[in-house]
Amino acid sequence: MEEQYFDEMRQQMAALKAQLDKQEIVSDHLIREIMKVKTKDIRSTKNMCIVATVIGLITIPFNSITHTWSWTFSAVTGFMLLFCLIATFYIHRPVENLNYMTSNLSTVAHVMAKFKKQYDNWLHYVTPALIIPWITWACYEFAWKNASEDVNPFLLTLPIFIGGTIGALIGYYYHCKAVNAAKSILEQLEEK
Amino acid sequence: MKQEEETFARLVREHKSTIYTVCYMFSKDEDEVQDLFQETLINMWKGVKGFREESKIDTWIYRVALNTCLTMERKKKREVKSVPLTMDVNFFEDNDANAKQARQLHQRINQLAYVDRAIVMLWLEGMTYDEIGSVIGITAQNVATKLFRIKEQLKKM
Repeated sequence: MEEQYFDEMRQQMAALKAQLDKQEIVSDHLIREIMKVKTKDIRSTKNMCIVATVIGLITIPFNSITHTWSWTFSAVTGFMLLFCLIATFYIHRPVENLNYMTSNLSTVAHVMAKFKKQYDNWLHYVTPALIIPWITWACYEFAWKNASEDVNPFLLTLPIFIGGTIGALIGYYYHCKAVNAAKSILEQLEEK
Repeated sequence: MKQEEETFARLVREHKSTIYTVCYMFSKDEDEVQDLFQETLINMWKGVKGFREESKIDTWIYRVALNTCLTMERKKKREVKSVPLTMDVNFFEDNDANAKQARQLHQRINQLAYVDRAIVMLWLEGMTYDEIGSVIGITAQNVATKLFRIKEQLKKM
């Protein structure tokens, strides 16, 4: 009885493949279109980090030239951006190196789990450790250190908080995008 | 035509039914099959340069197809302009005996978890436990244990 059940499944599989063998399925047109694809991947999160770092490295020294904030602050900010960029490359590298030819499903699961864990650690520990001191220092530089006495320094911190909120929302969007992609893969592999 | 283009075109034509079967078993409708099929071909094309003829072709094809079904974002914008597959049948909608049989197999397999689906498909294709293990990344012993559990699950359906 048991064997009959699985024999039926085997026959269904064989019949399906036999019917598919009779079909053309792939036209020359489709093969030509596929071969136009260059071997590049869309790495939006990483590309976003590169763009943000380049913009930061260009604009931050400009603020020092105009005496908005000190050169020390610019240098530390530059190092911080470079550190974030290097960390992003480091976290993304194993995922990008996942080779479809040699990777089995367990390897994919392992790489994705590590990627998600590193991203979560970055959000929960590294981001607050970098952002809180940086924002505090930025407020001091921008609103207190060089501000004239007739302007309320708290008003001057407003642009920093608005800019910071926009930056945080963009960063969180890209964080969620990357983590959700890894999470959906892991959920499929771990579903019972 | 370059060597790799010839190899790719040959592999696709020879193994089109295997690729389609994997995509079919991991899809909910014909559009999804078409998306997964095209994405699998793209990944095969990206990987064909490094493909060594001495490695087992079936294993390679299954790895590419299964990894694509697992990792592809279903709503992702297509990398190639949409070229429909050349098919006279639609296993999701046709009502002839063959389509009904295919649908019954799809319903049985589709109720399993992702890895279980992959294991049972490879087993139905006649692969050995070692070969299944190398695609999934587990030992042959582990494949046997999982397969026993999957069979019990399938019998209850």
